[in-house]
Amino acid sequence: MVFFPVNLLFRFLILSLVVSSRLSISRTRSKQATTKMVKAYSQEHTYKHPWERVTSASWRKFADPENKRTLSHILEVDTLNHKLDSESGKLYTTRAITIHAPGPWFLRKIVGQDICHCVESTVVDAQTRSMQLATKNISLQKYVEVEEKIRYDPHPDNPDGWTICRQETSIRIKPLSTLASMAEKIEQKCVEKFQQNSAKGREVMERMCKYLEAESSSRGISV
Amino acid sequence: MGFLRDKRNSSSSSTTTSPCADLRAAYHNCFNRWYSEKFLKGHWDKEECVSEWEKYKDCLSKHLEDKNLSRFLEAEGVKRIPASISK
Repeated sequence: MVFFPVNLLFRFLILSLVVSSRLSISRTRSKQATTKMVKAYSQEHTYKHPWERVTSASWRKFADPENKRTLSHILEVDTLNHKLDSESGKLYTTRAITIHAPGPWFLRKIVGQDICHCVESTVVDAQTRSMQLATKNISLQKYVEVEEKIRYDPHPDNPDGWTICRQETSIRIKPLSTLASMAEKIEQKCVEKFQQNSAKGREVMERMCKYLEAESSSRGISV
Repeated sequence: MGFLRDKRNSSSSSTTTSPCADLRAAYHNCFNRWYSEKFLKGHWDKEECVSEWEKYKDCLSKHLEDKNLSRFLEAEGVKRIPASISK
């Protein structure tokens, strides 16, 4: 669910900048923010589709025109590199994801851009049936680092029919003057945004799975 | 706020890879088919979509002017294997 971090990222940036400018004017706090703020969240979701179908959906979710409307902030997804280990059945892929993340004009002034680049690394192990994705922003890193890890495994209760998705997100806010005291409020906003966007991402995945299910029954391909 | 939109277009055009959109679609279509119909079924001994990939990659390397991205095109891009989430 690659699209989520960047909305989040910009929400963060906006809040951070607002907060830091306010604080620097009032100068109520001094340099306590030399350490990075790190926050981590995790989520789980069960897809009632087999692992093969869910991972196929994951590859396709950005390309489908229907999903493009939902994920309209995704400008481009390019495959940068891929490697197949033909001995072990592992597939390694690196993709670049370019996202349009508009903020208010003053943010644009400061940051100098309103697109953000993320890199997504994926490993699929066909033998053990696992897919792991890690996505992080490679631009705007001096403000915030968001890293999202997702893994898809066959569900222990129904390994051939269901898939469990585990998702972990960590957010590191870089100290922009005196951010620390406001971190709790920002965090709360972030959590809300994160949850909204995760739901959206699952929606897209569910739709893609249904589509693949219909396609496979009409073509006799079992994915 | 029309001027913002204009600016956005001009700034994103410098990093866009859309001239490769057709080659990209051809490669991704081929990849998706291979992934579902071969790779997942244990036929991972042979790489496919090689010519699609070569064409797409050539195009990308011409258009990925953004330094952050072009460094990932160099051979070691796949080194970054995601650290696993514990099961």
